[in-house]
Amino acid sequence: MKRKYIILIVLAGLFGIFSSCKKETGFNTLIITGQNNHNWQVSSPLLKQILDETGLFTSEIMKTPATGGDMNTFNPDFSKYKLVVIDYNGDSWNEKTNKAFVDYVSNGGGVVIYHAANNSFPAWKEYNEMTGLGGWGDRNEKSGPYVYYKAGQLVTDTSAGIGGTHGKRREFMVVSRKADHPITKGLPARWLHGTDELYSLLRGPALNMEVLATAFADSAKGGGTMRDEPMLMTIAYGKGRIFHTAMGHADEGGGPAMQCAGFIITLQRGAEWAVTGNVTQPVPFDFPTAAGVVLRPDFKEVTVDEAIKNIGSYEIGKSTKNLTCLQYHIRKLAGDQAGLLNLEKQMVTVLESSDATTEGKKLLLRELSWMGTSFCQPAINKLSSVEELKDEAAFALERLK
Amino acid sequence: MTKNSSRREFVKRSAALVAGSIVLPQIIPSSVLGMGGRTAPSDRLVMGAIGTGSQGMSNMRDFLDLKDAVRFVAVCDVDSVHLAGAKRTVDGANKSNDCRTYGDFREFLAKEKLDAVSIALPDHWHGIIYSEAANRKMNVYGEKPICRTINDGKTIVKAVKDNNIIWQTGSWQRSEANFHRGAELAVNGRVGKIKYIEVGLPDGGNNIGTPPVMDVPPQLNWEMWLGPALKVPYRGVSHWDWRWILDYSGGQLTDWAGHHIDIANWGAGLEHTGPSEISGSGIYPAEGLYNVPVEYDFLCKYANGIEMRVANAARLKHGMGTVWQGDLGWIHVDRGNRISASDPAILNEVIGENEIHLYKSENHWQNFVDCVRSGKPAIAPVEVAYRAISVGLLGEIAMTTGQTIKWDPDKEEIIGNPAASKLLSRPYRKPWTLPTV
Repeated sequence: MKRKYIILIVLAGLFGIFSSCKKETGFNTLIITGQNNHNWQVSSPLLKQILDETGLFTSEIMKTPATGGDMNTFNPDFSKYKLVVIDYNGDSWNEKTNKAFVDYVSNGGGVVIYHAANNSFPAWKEYNEMTGLGGWGDRNEKSGPYVYYKAGQLVTDTSAGIGGTHGKRREFMVVSRKADHPITKGLPARWLHGTDELYSLLRGPALNMEVLATAFADSAKGGGTMRDEPMLMTIAYGKGRIFHTAMGHADEGGGPAMQCAGFIITLQRGAEWAVTGNVTQPVPFDFPTAAGVVLRPDFKEVTVDEAIKNIGSYEIGKSTKNLTCLQYHIRKLAGDQAGLLNLEKQMVTVLESSDATTEGKKLLLRELSWMGTSFCQPAINKLSSVEELKDEAAFALERLK
Repeated sequence: MTKNSSRREFVKRSAALVAGSIVLPQIIPSSVLGMGGRTAPSDRLVMGAIGTGSQGMSNMRDFLDLKDAVRFVAVCDVDSVHLAGAKRTVDGANKSNDCRTYGDFREFLAKEKLDAVSIALPDHWHGIIYSEAANRKMNVYGEKPICRTINDGKTIVKAVKDNNIIWQTGSWQRSEANFHRGAELAVNGRVGKIKYIEVGLPDGGNNIGTPPVMDVPPQLNWEMWLGPALKVPYRGVSHWDWRWILDYSGGQLTDWAGHHIDIANWGAGLEHTGPSEISGSGIYPAEGLYNVPVEYDFLCKYANGIEMRVANAARLKHGMGTVWQGDLGWIHVDRGNRISASDPAILNEVIGENEIHLYKSENHWQNFVDCVRSGKPAIAPVEVAYRAISVGLLGEIAMTTGQTIKWDPDKEEIIGNPAASKLLSRPYRKPWTLPTV
């Protein structure tokens, strides 16, 4: 009897250990907004949606008083949160709130600095140490150096001059500078970002700051410094971690800068890193590449089950995103026979559906030709007699035999 | 050049070329003397061209630039505008109007009696047309990569060997001084024992989105352009840009494998073998007609312990080109006559008489002409080309499957992975079949 209890206690202990190892989710997140020279009414709900979409965060939006309002009423309890996202560029907060925020970060709180939030509080020393770099607000050489890449080298430039500018809005190439940082690991070396303001000439204390990615501000493409300007940064402040994205200018509906899958995914990864110092999120299939911008107009990643169904309505000229999603999941399931068979079954359901398009079936037959098993063969055999599918069916059957 | 004087001149010229460009104990090309079972070719090689798009025409001009070395007599293309342009070029060079034109390579190969044929086609056609040309005993200058699949490659290698033809791959970097020098230093141990090789290739591609079905341009025989590939409607992409679509190419990776991977193999003594394990990942465009990997990064392990990383250049310290890393240092070579080393003194090293002297050619097209005449192997032979592209194709399979691929470089088989093994070939659309040798 006694032994049984001991075993139970040991098991309970082990369970406790395993439970505590489980991936933490539901990080309470505070998005601060309410004043901004940018469209915060659009951006803040989208930031909430982007973060909550991951399942890692539970976000709420808190608005400051409007411009000129009584800031003494703005006293968030930062201790309730693992992450604070700043979508704010406006009046100074009250001293107590400032101090509470500095304490929060110093003690290990995570922060995301989003786009024009790096314009904010030019006179607040600690805030500028958290953002690393900032712009506008009469920033100049007293604010700190310019930081940029030139000829592949990181440059810290103390020369005199304004802080903050951007040329004409445009698509631009983002270049990874730290391939092994948790946030950028597995991302393309270069990717095209949706039309956005290319923040340039940012300057600030730049202490304990790492530049993860830059974009070349090409003067030939609508004004630019001809420097590789920082776009993604991390800053260590006390025990706190700050992720700073200079991208994401909000238009109605978010616009291409916020809908850009590159913006969304780096924000999600950066936010997780700010909380835990790690990134557990896999890089999704639709991260953009140098070949082109990828937008997520609904701010969501399509699931593989949805993708397979959607392939059933594919026609030439339509997006092939669903196929790319399927191929990505086939790769991810490499070696997992049960997982692959589950995909195969869903693919066969589409092959057998009278509603599914011929072009969609062709795409599936190509994939099944190598990853399919005996399960899909009867369905493919049937398609051998369908005139418009017989080539693809023969292609698949020759490989599967 | 009169017929009587030309033979003497030809022998003299060939001897001079051989002395100047090939470091082999050889004085007179055997073909000139009618040895080795070969008939002496006429004064100028009689050549034809299949595929007269940008690369085909570029090769033709390189041959014509050799001055009196070759005479083109026939051209073949599925695009009548390309064909007419090629005929104009040939007729202009020949100062005549008798260049024969073909829209179907089968008719071309059946009717033409040529010393050699220059072939530059989309990769999905290589298996059939390279093998058929070899079966017709034509010597071939063929563009890299020599095959779209490993299975195609095996067939081509066998056809070339069994028919005992001269083969030159369009891997022209071998005939450039810096690549030769770098490879020769590496293979002679000037960076010590080679442990690690890095190959940087372009990333890429652009993006044309998802174009609709379009009318086939009247000059293009689309059905013949597709040939053994699955039938798809024309969507505005054929010449040149076929390299961004997986049905016809593996993208920049396979396009460039025949260059920097080929050079890597040359300098590391890996020309006649392949890796035993391949793993890595690609980054694919999220959507669009162009579906080749935009970025790629994979590692090949060889039985002798060498590791070769192949990646798009932006991921690598040295960027584009080939780096041989030995236990004593490294050498990097790239286009633009670039060669550098961990210690510049390495680059001044002299290769001793008893060391390995790599085949030397100063002009890739001249080397082919010389070899057709002499019967000697050209600088970029078929098996070597097959081994270079195999690395790219195995990398492609590792990326497609998401798995580590075990490869037996002797049996040329994937070990223990039936799904990945299916990717070693692409079934041909009826009525096309890979020729038997």
